[in-house]
Order: sequence, then C-alpha cells, then structure tokens
Amino acid sequence: MKKTVLLLMLTLTVALAAGLLAGCGGTSETTATTAATSDTTVAPGESTTTAAEAAAADTFTYAQGADPRGLDPALVDDGESAKIIVNVYEGLLKYADDSTAVEPSLAESWEISDDGLSYTFKLRQGVKFHDGTDFNAEAVKFNIDRQLPPQVTPDMGYAGFVFGSVKDVVVDDDYTVTINLTQKNTAFLANLAMCLAAPIVSPKALTDGNNSVMEAPVGTGPYKFVKWSKGENVVLERNDDYWGEKAKTKNVIFRFISDNSARVLALNNDEVDMIDGIDATVVNQITQGGDKLFQAEGMNVNYMAYNTTTEMFKDQAARVAFSQAINREELVTSLYQGYSDMAETILPTFVPGYDATVKQVAYDVEKAKAGLAAAGITKVHMITYTNPRPYNAATGVALATAIQGYLQKVGVECTIDTFDWTTYKEKVKAGDYDICFYGWIGDNGDPDNFMNLLADPDPSMNVARWQDETYIADIKTALAIPNGAERDAKYGEMEKYVAERAIWLPISHAQSLAGYRAEVSGFIYHVTGTVFLSKAVVAK
Amino acid sequence: MLKFIIKRVLMVIPVMIGVSIIVFSLMRVFSPDPAPIVLGQHATQEAITTWRMANGLDKPVVVQYLTYLWGALQGDLGVSYFSKASVAKEIGARFPATIELAIAAIIFASIFGILLGVVAAVKKNSIFDAAGSLIALVGVSIPIFWLGILLIMFFSGFLHLLPSGGRINVLLEPARVTGFYMVDAVIAGDWAALKDALLHLVLPSLALGMYSMAIITRMTRSSMLESLGQEYVRTARAKGLREIKVVGKHALRNSLIPVTTVIGLQFGALLGGALLTESVFSWPGIGKFTVDSILKSDFPVVQGIVLLVALIFVTVNLVADLVYAYLDPRIKYASKKEG
Repeated sequence: MKKTVLLLMLTLTVALAAGLLAGCGGTSETTATTAATSDTTVAPGESTTTAAEAAAADTFTYAQGADPRGLDPALVDDGESAKIIVNVYEGLLKYADDSTAVEPSLAESWEISDDGLSYTFKLRQGVKFHDGTDFNAEAVKFNIDRQLPPQVTPDMGYAGFVFGSVKDVVVDDDYTVTINLTQKNTAFLANLAMCLAAPIVSPKALTDGNNSVMEAPVGTGPYKFVKWSKGENVVLERNDDYWGEKAKTKNVIFRFISDNSARVLALNNDEVDMIDGIDATVVNQITQGGDKLFQAEGMNVNYMAYNTTTEMFKDQAARVAFSQAINREELVTSLYQGYSDMAETILPTFVPGYDATVKQVAYDVEKAKAGLAAAGITKVHMITYTNPRPYNAATGVALATAIQGYLQKVGVECTIDTFDWTTYKEKVKAGDYDICFYGWIGDNGDPDNFMNLLADPDPSMNVARWQDETYIADIKTALAIPNGAERDAKYGEMEKYVAERAIWLPISHAQSLAGYRAEVSGFIYHVTGTVFLSKAVVAK
Repeated sequence: MLKFIIKRVLMVIPVMIGVSIIVFSLMRVFSPDPAPIVLGQHATQEAITTWRMANGLDKPVVVQYLTYLWGALQGDLGVSYFSKASVAKEIGARFPATIELAIAAIIFASIFGILLGVVAAVKKNSIFDAAGSLIALVGVSIPIFWLGILLIMFFSGFLHLLPSGGRINVLLEPARVTGFYMVDAVIAGDWAALKDALLHLVLPSLALGMYSMAIITRMTRSSMLESLGQEYVRTARAKGLREIKVVGKHALRNSLIPVTTVIGLQFGALLGGALLTESVFSWPGIGKFTVDSILKSDFPVVQGIVLLVALIFVTVNLVADLVYAYLDPRIKYASKKEG
C-alpha cells in the first residue's frame, strides 16, 4: 500500500514538474526567436497548387474560432458561417479569385436593360442541388422572393442590403430570369456574388425545413453537407455530381477551436491543416512550428472620425490641423507590427475605384501647431472602444492613447472615455464626442459600400455626422454609373473630396492572417475573408 | 428517510423559481438589447421593432416572465435568437460533453485527492505531508488555462502522446445515441472510438480536476487528522487492530462525511464552471456556449442553461445529503426520529 501511494505521488509530481518545465522552455523559446515571415507568405487569391496533389490526403481539416451561427445564407451574418456556406452553396455570380470583380457562376451571362432597371440572367443548365432537384429560374425566384416583402422576416440581416432595390423577379423560361429594380444600382451585381443572402438554396429543402436550412444546408456547391456536431465540427464531403471541376479533397472538416493558442498548437501538432482568426502574437509560433503564414490585405478600413457637428470640428482648418499632428506611418507600424497596412484611401487597393493618387493630410508638426493655435483648440474629448476589432487588433484604446500622445506634443490635451463595444455603439449614436474611432468591414466589394457611409443620414453609420449636399449627390450618381473606368474615376474624385476636407483620418487596413501546414496547397483565401477549399489539397 | 427525501425534493421548487426570477431579471436589466446584435449592422429601426415584437420583448417583463415560466413548465425553454434551434436541442447537443468531462475530472480529483489527503494525515509532518500540501497548494493556485496549455504543450506538442483538444477524432465518431461518446462507443462496440475518446479526455480532466483535487486533499487531510485524534481510533488501536484497518475502516469512513459534501459541491461547480478548460481544449460543452450566449444577449439560451445547472446543483446536493445519511448513521437516525 505504502509503495503504491509513494509511486502514485511520485508519478504525479514528476508529471506536473515536467509540464511546468516544458511550459517554461516553450515560452522562452518563443520570445527569443524572431523568424522572418515574408518568405512564407502568398498574395491573395494566388493559387498555391503544387505537384504534390498526386499523393493527397482524403481529408482537409480547417480550424476556426467558433461554430457558424447557422448555414442558411439568408439568416446569418457572421464570417464563421460564411466560410462553410461558400463551399456548399453558389450564387448567380462570384468574385474573381484575387479581387471583388464579378464573374459568372450559376448564371452564365447577363444583360442590363438600357434604363438600368432590368437584369436578365441566362442560367447554367444541368446543375443539380445536393438533394437531386434541378437548379432553374424558379429556384432563383424562390430564393429572392423569400427575402422580399411580404415574405422577408426581420432576422434576414442582409436581405435589405442585397435585395433592397429589387422590385420583382420574373421567370422568362426555365433557364432565363429577369430581376427588376426600383432604382438604378450598379452595386447590385456585386451583391449577387456575396456569401450572405445571395447564395441559392434548394427550394425543396427550404419548403421541407419550414423556410430555414440553418442546420441542413442544401446548395449546388463543390461540397455537400454531412453533419454538424455543435461546438465541435461541421463535416462536408465532395459533391461528385458537381457541374464544374470536382473538389480535389474528398472530405473537408471545419473544426471549432475557440482558444487562439490551442488553435496554433493544433496546427503545429498537425491535427489540423489550416487555421484562421490569428493575430500577430502567434505568428512566430506558427512559423517556428514549421507551418506557413498567409498574409493579405483585408476588405476593411480602420479610421478616426471628427464630429463635424461640433463647434470645434465644423471648421475644415481645425480638422486638417489636428490630422497634421498625427504621424500615421509610425503609428501603424508600432501598433500593428506589420499586420496592418497604412491607409491612404478609404477603399482597400483591390476594390474597384481605388485611386493611388489620393493622399490624406500629411504629417507636419509645425503646421499642426499653427493651425490648432489659430483654431484655438487646447482640449478635445475622444471616445473609444476597449475591444479588439477585426480592423483594429490593437483595440480602440491603444489607438486613441497613441493619438493622445501625438496631440500632447503639439499642446492639445485629449481626454479619452472608453467603453465596451456594445456600449460604445450607443455612445456613438448619442453623439457626445469631438472625435471617435470606428471601422468598416466591406460587404460586397463595391466602392459604394465604403463611400456611402459618409452620405448615410443615420449617425450610427456616418459617425462623422457629415452631411454634404455635393457628396450625397455624387454618391447617387456613382451608384447609377455602370461598372467600368467612368465609375472608378468618380469614386477616385470622391475620395479626394473627402480627404481634402479631412472628415475622417483613415488609419489602416487590417490584413487577413491564416496559418497552414507546409503540405497544404490550392486553397483560395479570398479578399472578402471567405476561404474556398475545392482546390485545396494536403500532400501526404 | 422517505419523508426526508420528499421534503428535500419539494424544496427544489422554490429554489428553481427563485433562480429563474433572478436570471430572467438580470439578463433583462444588465444585458444589452439583443435585437441589434441578432439583426446585424444593416438592421433598420423598423426591423428591430418588428423583431422585438415577434419575440415578445415589447411586453412588460412580468408578462414575459410568466409566459416563459408557463412554457418552461411544459418543457418548452424557447428558441435561440441566433441559431433558431430550440434551446433544449442546443443544450442537449452540448451538455453530454460537459457531464462526461466533469465526471472524469471528479473521479480523478476524488481518487487522488483522498489518497493524498490520507497519506498526508497519516504521515503528518513527514515529507509526504509536505509533498501533499505542496501539490494541493499548486493545484489551488495554478490557473486552469495555463495548466491546460502546459499539458497540451508537453503531452501533445512535445511527446505527441495525447491529442491537443476536441472530444474525439471526427472520423471515429460513433453513432449518436446518448451523446456520451464513451457510452456510444461501447453501444456500437467500437473499441477504437472508445480508446480515442478516452485519450481525448485525459488532459482536460486532469486540468479541470486539479483544483478540485487540491480542495479534496486539504479537506481529507484535516478531516482525517481530526478523526485520528478521536477516542474511537485510540480504542480501535487498543483492541489491536492493524493500522491499515484503523485508518481505512474507522478513521477514513468518518472523515469522508465532509469530504463527500465537498466532492458534491465541486462536481456541481465543475458542471457550471468548465469554461476555461472547455475553451483551451476545444471541448464542445456548455461552458463556452454559456459565455457566448451571455455576450450575445441570447436570453432563452442563458435562462435554459442556468436553470439546468441550478437543477443539477440542487440534485447533487440532495444526493450528497443522502450519501451522508448512509455514511453517518446518526443523520439517518435523526431524520427517522423527525419523521
């Protein structure tokens, strides 16, 4: 008995001590080494396919931070759902692999009427849903009608955004469908390529499921749904009847690992093939573990906004002087450690309408001092958020504090009130601030989606509370111009108009980061933040 | 004894009503309005109003509560605002994982806790006592998430002996009957799945049970020291009983009464408080789900989980009391007399 007890105690003590030692060793190693990551990165949408496909594993495991909210594209609004949805469903249109330009998908071609109000789509024939039913014009009408009045429900979060300008849907024949709009809206085409609201669901599945396929998605995509163990995983398998190029890997498993470090450990341990939702703090751990880093500009903007309704910042010269005090280049480098790009424009570089000649107010301490003195600014009230946001991993507090530091150098005292994100949104809505910090995550890759924020009458969207007649008219005009050089140029002009008036100070565009095993290739991590896995393979 | 049980069971009703009122009120007073969170960044004021009406949130809180209570009494806990699945289904999908982990953790904690406590008491002031106290101190002090990460790094990352997280290799998952993978694996006769599920259970139960083990060790030690000083132990020794019998039969059995209460309470706490362990080990239980639901103001889910955990707490306490009665004849006698 005594010996047994002694043995057990010793075992436990040794195990604990070993664990402690291992932990200490691991930590110091992580901090001591700074591996270069640039050699392991790839550009967005760049094909990572290699010759290794011949001997590929039959399962690809992708780990993300949480369960999807659900798998009905009309009823969800989160990124975790979107990543699974894009592999199971398809829309009429899709985005190019490396940008947000639209391309044919379930629709082979489309025509726009001269008045810009009718969009006629020729649909791909011979496409079947995973339940064996046919994809046709009736299916398109069924999917859009459920998101239009009177059928639409308030919890269809993107129905208004995607189909808000739709008057009706007319079935011309089995494979031709016309969508009529109430007003000209060029962004409508980009909406149809979105991963939310736009993907086409089997009408039979929706009818059987009482107008919801949250837990049993049925689409036309390269993968079909197998099962969802809540909190654990979603399993997909190859759709062997897929109309296009068949998926390369037989099974795809989405695992849900909420803890960042645990997700990285699972990748380093080869238990999963790819992970997302990571930040700069674990990059070294990923590369030291022999895995690779995916790093690309994200579809977002992180900005500081002046409250243009206050006495202080009604004045353009005051806004310009304040912006001149801030060294954004230094700020972005130190706050985001190379994982956010400094923003000269509101639009990310891959969004149509991006204009490289746009420049924000330049950093100039002397001019800032003179301008602030002339405007009589000595005290400024800022509000900010305490949480990290997808466009600002460093938190609003870190950003506000850094800016407070720059302003201190030019003799302006900034007081900062901080709130958790939910409360913060209420405070922004209330409008009691001189300066606030906000950001935007793009929805459809259309320039209107970003630029329209500054024309929105709702102060919880247009946090600068700026209402400029010329700009609002320009936004309406640009929305009606067909896609192409003329429209792109218009958005370039509007960017310059806003930059000159210093309504916002764009800070940065956060990059999308993902880790993957060296054996993995072929995935498409799209600029919209979704991941297409039909070409992904894991070499054995 | 029967009346004692009935009395204890009846006491569950006011406790549950009290808990439901508290959680219902707290969620409504302190949680942000769920409508904007559910409807997302493009929600219009009109959509928010319609949604609130559809979910009964425009009615007075008392009416909302009574409607909820009436539904709950009929077994209807409502529907999650986010997933739109029934709350019972959402909890049912995750709760077996939490119970499985809590049972494994409490078994580990009880066996090692009692063992260490007994050794520390019997060998008081020896190196064994010091080692036991040290382990108990470490167990109480070490943060669970940190211990969890260390265990993963060592056993999974370095030795490659155990998986880093999850409940089972998804490709081995047995057909779902009870939701308890070990039971399901046995029902399916799938020994590979059973082995895999067990391997997945080792590290999380060790991390989760460490704190409870420390508490049980301390309680056992002090309780044993008290018992060993009692006259009946001296009598037993005087009768010439072997030391192992004195310790095992006389001292230990009497010492186990407070220890049983602690084990019961710890088990209840493990069921409701496995958040960090579940998070670190990606264990698909209700801990993480609860916090996510609170943050998202998913009222029906939070209410459902709190009620369930409260019910389990009350039941575990009841069982602990009954075990008490078995372990200590005086309690049984008293209750008999009362009846």
